[in-house]
Amino acid sequence: MSEIVLHSLVVAGSVLLAASVVIALFRIVRGPSILDRMIGTDVVLASIMCGLGGYMALSDRTDLLPVLIVLAMLGFVGSVSVSRYVSKSDSMTPGAEAGALSEFSASDWHMPRDADEPSPGSTSVSQARPSDDVTEIADPTYDAHADSGGEGEGTGPDPGPDDAEHVSDGDGQESNRGS
Amino acid sequence: MVLDIISAVLIFLGAVLSLAAAVGLVRFGDLLSRMHASAKPQVLGLVLVAVAIAIQFPTWATVTTLAIIISFQLVTIPVATHMVGRAGYRTKHLRRSMLYRDELAEAVDRAEAREIAWERQRGTGTDHHDG
Repeated sequence: MSEIVLHSLVVAGSVLLAASVVIALFRIVRGPSILDRMIGTDVVLASIMCGLGGYMALSDRTDLLPVLIVLAMLGFVGSVSVSRYVSKSDSMTPGAEAGALSEFSASDWHMPRDADEPSPGSTSVSQARPSDDVTEIADPTYDAHADSGGEGEGTGPDPGPDDAEHVSDGDGQESNRGS
Repeated sequence: MVLDIISAVLIFLGAVLSLAAAVGLVRFGDLLSRMHASAKPQVLGLVLVAVAIAIQFPTWATVTTLAIIISFQLVTIPVATHMVGRAGYRTKHLRRSMLYRDELAEAVDRAEAREIAWERQRGTGTDHHDG
């Protein structure tokens, strides 16, 4: 009796893990952005780790424990590196369903910085803003302009102030007109 | 035999968590919601499976290695999730209509004001030097 319970539990768990991997692969294929694909990859990796742990527990394979460590480290490194370098040029799947994503373009990154050059600046900031226009420039201000030069926490792929000045000729006019 | 069944039940629960994460990954319509769903099997599912392994092999080597694995996951998963969420916020991969409150927007406001002040100061400084 207990054998039947044990085997049915193992088979059901295997089926659930396989189904979760397949569904996560569906999200990887269809995910509108690369971050969604990264999350799907994390779920696939977590499923693999759960399955490997279950295999280790049910068959006497404790020598596979370093594989679990390596898989955990792989997931961490993959997530961090992909999300670290996704910020500047992110390609969306055309026709993605997530709302308010289609108006994102490369010129939006430089819009507020260019928009303040002809305008008196601080007044244009403090006035009402629907919080969609300015969120893109969130992090370069924290890191690129602060006097701390050493910490590389947000400076890498972001358009720094120098890049923004180079690009600002063409894009600034368009974004001024758009806003 | 009872321990075997307990281990199998724990592994089954881990598989259920993994399936829940996958279903949430498909059903939820937002990057942040999907991140919320996907964190469950990475921590709790792995803890359940590790407890199953520790029940099967109650030796010091196995238990300490499992503790290392779990602590590594507990340390690294918030970091990776924070990086993904930060990149998602910056590239606007979130639905504004699904947010009740955006506390980061206020920090973005302050940062933008500070940057504009910095730009003006630097611009006048270089003008003085050039002119």
